[in-house]
Formats: sequence, structure tokens, C-alpha cells
Amino acid sequence: MDLFHNLVLGLGVALTLQNVAYAFVGCMIGTLIGVLPGIGPVATIAMLLPITFHLPPTAALIMLAGIYYGAQYGGSTTSILVNLPGEASSVVTCIDGYQMAKRGRAGAALSISAIGSFVAGTVGTIVIVLFAGTLTQMAQSFGPAEYCSLMALGLIAAVVLANGSILKAVAMVFLGLLFGLTGTDINTGAERFTFGVPQLSDGIDFAPIAMGLFGIAEIVVNFERRLERSGVIRVGSLWPTRQETRRACPAIVRGTLLGSILGVLPGGGATLGAFAAYTLEKKISRYPDEFGKGAIEGVAGPESANNAAAQTSFIPMLTLGIPSNAVMALMVGAMIIQGVQPGPEVMTKRPDLFWGMIASMWIGNLMLVIINLPLIGIWVKLLTVPYRFLAPAILLFCCVGAYSLQNSTFHVIQIAMFGVLGYVFMRLGCEGAPFLLGLVLGPQLEEYFRRAMLLSRGDPLIFLQRPISLSLLLATAALLILMTLPNLRKARQSAFQEEET
Amino acid sequence: MSRLLTKDFLSGLMFIAFGLAALWFGRHLPVGTTVRMGPGYVPQLLAYLMLGLGFIIAIVALVYPGEAVEAPSWKPITLVTAGIVVFALLFEVTGMFPALVALILIASIASDEFKLGEVIANIVVLSILSLTVFKLGLGMNISMIAGVW
Repeated sequence: MDLFHNLVLGLGVALTLQNVAYAFVGCMIGTLIGVLPGIGPVATIAMLLPITFHLPPTAALIMLAGIYYGAQYGGSTTSILVNLPGEASSVVTCIDGYQMAKRGRAGAALSISAIGSFVAGTVGTIVIVLFAGTLTQMAQSFGPAEYCSLMALGLIAAVVLANGSILKAVAMVFLGLLFGLTGTDINTGAERFTFGVPQLSDGIDFAPIAMGLFGIAEIVVNFERRLERSGVIRVGSLWPTRQETRRACPAIVRGTLLGSILGVLPGGGATLGAFAAYTLEKKISRYPDEFGKGAIEGVAGPESANNAAAQTSFIPMLTLGIPSNAVMALMVGAMIIQGVQPGPEVMTKRPDLFWGMIASMWIGNLMLVIINLPLIGIWVKLLTVPYRFLAPAILLFCCVGAYSLQNSTFHVIQIAMFGVLGYVFMRLGCEGAPFLLGLVLGPQLEEYFRRAMLLSRGDPLIFLQRPISLSLLLATAALLILMTLPNLRKARQSAFQEEET
Repeated sequence: MSRLLTKDFLSGLMFIAFGLAALWFGRHLPVGTTVRMGPGYVPQLLAYLMLGLGFIIAIVALVYPGEAVEAPSWKPITLVTAGIVVFALLFEVTGMFPALVALILIASIASDEFKLGEVIANIVVLSILSLTVFKLGLGMNISMIAGVW
């Protein structure tokens, strides 16, 4: 009953003209950047952070969320039609999607992936509604020690499940935490790492760092790589045959379930969901030899999974304030810019924002089916726009956006500096995502750590004496140990190798 | 030489450098006690953790040399950075239009296929777009050409 009441409240907020409009804008932008290779949701959301400053909080978050799940829809279009992943989470869709397109079944592949995404999005939204309340209630009993341990678990899990070397990723988390401590220490008023720059005394701004690390650095790397476009394939009929439908439906259900589960895990999210779903489909299929040659399950499963995971990865962020991947870290940043402190209080203090955002996700998913299927022709045309037109536009948006944060060119210079740093990170194979998570959580982690130690009179055993904190830390340790086991390490490596090819 | 120019070894060095920098720039911050931590406690803890990890990463990389670092191509990174800096310097002096033109020109040179006609078209389109989005749409207080509009 309570749930029903909340949903009505959420729908009421989400269905106002303004919020529907922003959900639509978010979905359009998401589809656009999903279709275009070379720009992903992380860079886009970073780029748009300053603009959201000018919007009301609910509208801003609805729009940003729309970009993330919209990109999951758009990404599949590019994968299927030109064999280039529009998004990292659509990499596996290339394998069978493009083969289907070559056989003239591009339309069917596109419809199946859009329908699968819609089913997954709907289920994902329901999962959020069901679990958000429970998790929030649990989180309200958390003290500083529990929060500390929870953040440790979140950070470590994000690292373990991320791509690349674990040691380097852990070091990147520490580096991010350190950057996050810049500014005035709230307990003593001492200035830390501000170098006498007045703009730094309130803490280092999140938006220009994210724009530099992801937006600018990505542009530079794309310039170096020179993205090549192969010919675009004709779409053909959008209607799947009866046999295709019969094979796709169970794959959609499996992908949705798997994606929903993996999305909730810290470090999970769309990409992991898609890979796991593809592996699962290939393993249990009655026609394993068709995979790689255009099996419809290879499109339906991963495309459903990535959207379900994109949806459910909002759960830890919304209920606990702990971001599980880079996009969620940016959402936390956006909430802080809006003066909303993410955490369990959001649900009780701002139920309009909380339920409005969730309800808008379902509405957004509905819009996306319409945006993506009948309008497919427009997106195909967009694919022919060369990158050299796109890059200056992205740069310009970053610069003006950074300026508008505080009407000062200080932030513009800052994105240039972090652009260079981000480029160095990329060249050295250091992932930006763990850095971003550390950066967002840095100030909170320090605050809770200091409070916990104050409460325990300096005894670090407090983290082990409180049962919830202890179990969170045990889970963290277990994850770290699991990753050093040779078998799992090999599995993890091979999973990501597939991604790179 | 090739042993030293691997991604892992260099990132180990980078973490060590960041750790040392944090220690140096945070040297005047009081550390305090574990009960009442000073502003320097957590930064110093993190700095030592980074130093330690940096050393481990660097040493492991020496023993098992991994992927070599690709030689960077200097043109894109230099031009993109220069473009942003020029934009920042021009923006408040001349207004948005001149800064925008400079940024797009410089950034377009970073691409290998520079065609003047295309760049001019891009400038026109982006000028109209940023005028409508930023100034008219979002109502930002930005002057287009300083002193004029």
C-alpha cells in the first residue's frame, strides 16, 4: 500500500510537463551519444554537470539518468549497423548483431534489442522500487563505523570488477581520495593543498575534474586513433520473424534477470551485465555454433542485460549514497551540486525527488522505444557525421560549461590541466573510474573515519566489533582474496580481453 | 630501456611522485592523535599508502615487464590543451565569439583532415548553437562580443 502511494507520488512528479520534457531531452541526448562512437555517457554527463546547475534538482537528475539508460539503447544501433560499439556495454552486441545485419536482418536485430531493453528497463525499475525501501531502512541504523566499512567495500569491489591491474586501480582510488581532501578541513579550518588559490578553499570542484579526465582526454585519444567509419548497412524490415521472436523471448528474460542482479553489485553496471549475459546465452543455447554468425539470442540477452543493469546500478547510489561506477559517481556529484546530500535521507527528506526519478525512468524507457525504432533513419544519418566536426563541439561545450560553474575562467584552465592528467592516466593504463569514485567519496570517508575513531577513543577495533561493519569488512577481504586466486584471475582477464577485441 | 618504459613501471613512479608531493605539500598540517585527528592525519595515511603501492607496482613491473608505453603523438594533446587555454584567456577579454573561433580553429588543426571550408561551417553552426543554448536557452550571463553585446 505504501509502495503504491509512493509510486503515485513519483508518477505525479515525473509526469509534470517540465519533467517529461527533461526526461525526453535526456533520452534524446543519451541516444545521440550512444549512437556516436567516441563519446560515452561518462563524458557526456560530466560535460552537462554545469548546465544542470541551472535546472531544478529533480529535473536535472531525471535528465542525467535519461542520458545513461538512453545511451544503452543508442549503443546497440551502432553495434548492429556498423560493427563499432557505440558504447562499451554494446561491445558484445557487435558480434552477432552485425552478422544479423549482414544477412539483411538489421531491422529485426534493432527491434529485438529495443524491446529487450524496454522489458529490462521496466523490470529494473520495479527492482529499484522493491529494494530501495528495505536498503534505506537498513542504512538508517548505520553509524560512522558502518559507513566507513561500507565505503571500503564499495571502493574495493568497484576496483576488483573493473578492467586492468588491481594494484593500479587501488592506487587510483587512493589518489582520488587524496584529491578529494583538497580544501578547508571542516573540523579544524586548516587549508589543505590549496596552494593559496582561493577557489580551492571550498574543496576542489568535481565537475571540471570529471570533464577534464573523461571529456577532454577522450577527445585527444580519439584524435590520435582517428575513428574510421565503415559503410552503413540498410536497416530492412523492423519485424522479427516468428522463429526469431520465439528464440529471443527467453533470452530477454534471462538477460534481464542477470543484468538486474549484476547491476546492484558495486563495480557492476551495464558492461559487466552485457558480457555475463552473452556468455550465459552461448553456454545454454541449443544452437551454440550459431553464435558469432548472427544468433538472435546474442543480441537479445546482452542488450536486455545492459539496460537492466544500468537501471539497478542506481540502487546503491540512491539508497546508500555509494556510487558503484563512474556514471553513478557523477550522479552523486550532480546531487551535491544541487545541495542534496546522497544517502538514506534522500528517500525520507526528498520523496518527490526520489520517487519522481524512479518513475521517470520507466517513462523514459517508454520514450526510448519510440525514439529508437520509428526514428531509426535519423540516427543512421547521424552516423555519417565525421568525428572532426564533433570534437570541437564537445570541447566548446566543456569550456562554456566549466566557465558557467562560477563565471570564472579558473575552471576552464582546470579542465585543461585535468585533461592532460587524464591523458597521462590513459597512456599509462590507469583507469579513471576508480579515481572518480575516490574523489567523490574522499571527504565523506575521512569524516566518518574520524568520527568513528573519536567514538571508539582511537581504537581501530571498532570496525571489527560492530557486527554490520565486521561483515562488510569480511566481504571486502573475501573479494580481495578471491581475486588473487589464479582461476578467477584468469577468468577475469579473459572476460576483459574479449571486450578489447 | 624497454624494461623502464612500461605502462606499469611508469605508473608506479607516478604514484610515488604523487605520494611524495602529498607529503611535501602537507608537511605543515598537524597530524594529531588517532582519537583527535588533525587535518594532516588522513592525507598522510593516504600518501604513505600510495608510496607503498607505487613501489610495489614499480618493482613488480621491473620483474615482469608488461606492456610498453606507446609513444604519444604530441600534436592532439598540445593543440587541444592550447585551444582551451586560449579560450580561457580570450573569453573575458573579448567575449564568447572570438574565443569560440580560436578554440575551434586550434582544435580543428589537431585533426589530420583540416579543410578550411568545413571549419568555417562548423564555426557558424556552433556559434548559433551556443548562442541559443547558453545565452537564450539557459539564460547565462555571457557576453558574445565584449563591450558590444
